[in-house]
Amino acid sequence: MARQALNIYSVIIYIFLLLPIAVVVGASFNSGEFLTFPPQGFSLRWYVAFLNNEVFMRAIRTSLWIAAVAMVVSGIIGTMAAVYYVNYAARSKETIRIAMLSPLLLPEVLTAISLLFFVYAVGIGTTTMFGLLVGHVLITLPFVFMNVTSSLEGYDPDWSMAAQSLGASRWTRFRRITLPLIKPGVFSGCLFAFVISFDVFTISFMLKSIGSSTLPIQLFDYLKTNYTPEAAAVSTVSIVVTILVVIISEKVLGLRVHRF
Amino acid sequence: MTKVTIRNLTKIYGQAIKAVDSISLEIPSGEFVSLLGPSGCGKTTTLKMLAGFESVTSGSIAFDGDDVVAVPPEGRDIGMVFQNYALFPHMTVRGNLAFGLEMRKVPKAEMQRRIDATLDLVQLGPYADRYPRQLSGGQQQRVAIGRALVIEPRILLLDEPLANLDAKLREEMRVFIRDLQRRVGITTVYVTHDQAEAMTMSDRVVVMFGGKIAQQAPPSDIYDYPVSREVAGFVGQVNFIDGFVASVDGDLACIETPFGPAEVPAKTRGRGSAVTLALRPEAIDIVPDTAGHGIPATVVSSYFSGAILDYTLAMADGTKVDVKTIARTRFEPGAQVRLSVDAHRFWPIEAA
Ligand SMILES: Nc1ncnc2c1ncn2[C@@H]1O[C@H](COP(=O)(O)OP(=O)(O)O)[C@@H](O)[C@H]1O
Ligand SMILES: [Mg+2]
Repeated sequence: MARQALNIYSVIIYIFLLLPIAVVVGASFNSGEFLTFPPQGFSLRWYVAFLNNEVFMRAIRTSLWIAAVAMVVSGIIGTMAAVYYVNYAARSKETIRIAMLSPLLLPEVLTAISLLFFVYAVGIGTTTMFGLLVGHVLITLPFVFMNVTSSLEGYDPDWSMAAQSLGASRWTRFRRITLPLIKPGVFSGCLFAFVISFDVFTISFMLKSIGSSTLPIQLFDYLKTNYTPEAAAVSTVSIVVTILVVIISEKVLGLRVHRF
Repeated sequence: MTKVTIRNLTKIYGQAIKAVDSISLEIPSGEFVSLLGPSGCGKTTTLKMLAGFESVTSGSIAFDGDDVVAVPPEGRDIGMVFQNYALFPHMTVRGNLAFGLEMRKVPKAEMQRRIDATLDLVQLGPYADRYPRQLSGGQQQRVAIGRALVIEPRILLLDEPLANLDAKLREEMRVFIRDLQRRVGITTVYVTHDQAEAMTMSDRVVVMFGGKIAQQAPPSDIYDYPVSREVAGFVGQVNFIDGFVASVDGDLACIETPFGPAEVPAKTRGRGSAVTLALRPEAIDIVPDTAGHGIPATVVSSYFSGAILDYTLAMADGTKVDVKTIARTRFEPGAQVRLSVDAHRFWPIEAA
């Protein structure tokens, strides 16, 4: 009985969470001029409009590019930090953990404003995309760090020692033994980094340079003056990209996303 | 093969923890040496210094006369077997064996030949393409040994390699490792806290207490001629018998004991001085009270353990004595018996 009640309860929560997404997806197939639900007739015209909209296309390219760069940079820095944290950090362990996770703990808007002040203070400014990239790396770093750390907890240091006794240098040990064994953590960390970066709004909003609008920003700008189903089409594409990235990584790389 | 020379080797952790305290040890080429001692006596630390994983506080380690203290582990050319095997889980048996050879840039053909030869040696030919998780504990152990040996290292180091195996397999592996070591002829340092393991496998046993070497000798000498109470007690059951010097005749001293006279090598102590003697439980014979000779005693307890009987007896003055006999006739608790001991089976420990 109790179990059944729990099941029903779970289903209701899922519906509550997923319904808005379903509404957006549904609305994107509207054939009418306005963003309404249920849609008035079925049509792909707003997808065509989106694909022909140079501004949106540039935004999605920018978003993908930034997500890719953030993923790679976060992947490298986050993995190195996790390796240091698990194997070498002694007394500073707790400090490092909190520092690494702080972008998650602080309100994003606070991180974004501080970073904005910072990039101007050190003279980087927002004329290039550098500050924006730094922001995305910062915000995605904790996800890589957490995932890699958790896979390192199951890593036996004797494996490295065994490799060393067999003649492997530090770099070889990392490349041949450590990295392959923590790969699931690194990949799922990178996956998170990509998806989070693709999705992030506040950081991008504060730090974007001229002409470097990401998809969420462009969508926001668009919605300020327009109210067409094209916005729903853009959102749907962005959801599909996110889901595709997850599915492709799972299938192609054969990953199980690990526990946190 | 390689001779290992350790001189005044010391390891201090932090400010004051003396894990290894000035030990000196010469291991001739091809010898099988066990480091034996209770947990925390510094065995692993010594082994790690030999391997290079632990820095040396002071003292020296030389392989064939070349000081290796400054050489990192990857340059020492050692084969190391870990307690939990530490096999690379993402590589097959063959991959594990190949790793050390790849590091040495051994040509493909020779690599195959050496791996196959080693797989034969550790009897794992049919398992070459399995992953470690698909092997039993004993098989994983043999992979670990194979991986250490395939690189033809200068010395082989093993840290409690049998601790995770069940009793029967452990005994099989003792013989297996010992035979293998003889065949390969490699200088071997074996760490264990199990005296039976050290005794059955080693050419020489090094008994350690508190970071120091208490005694180093062949297994039978350690057992029969221990230098101290601790050593005597650690390598097997023992009775300590108090006596005094009755007479000294050249190299031999005659000691008066409750078990009758004992003949032991004379030390510098004069007549009348107190001496403690070690007497192994199996050196004492139990005969029925009716035999008419021997020292009277009462059986307190007797335990049957397959081949042998473990007795505890009480002497007339209440002193307890442990005795082991082969299980023939069994004396029940309370039985009156007599004990007899060959005068030559006593061994003097430092006077108490
Ligand atoms: N990394 C370390 N830091 C501080 N003390 C240590 C460390 N490793 C070992 N010790 C101490 O050194 C002593 C010897 O340890 P070890 O060599 O591991 O003993 P064994 O292998 O004989 O059980 C122990 O008292 C242990 O607590
Ligand atoms: Mg140990």
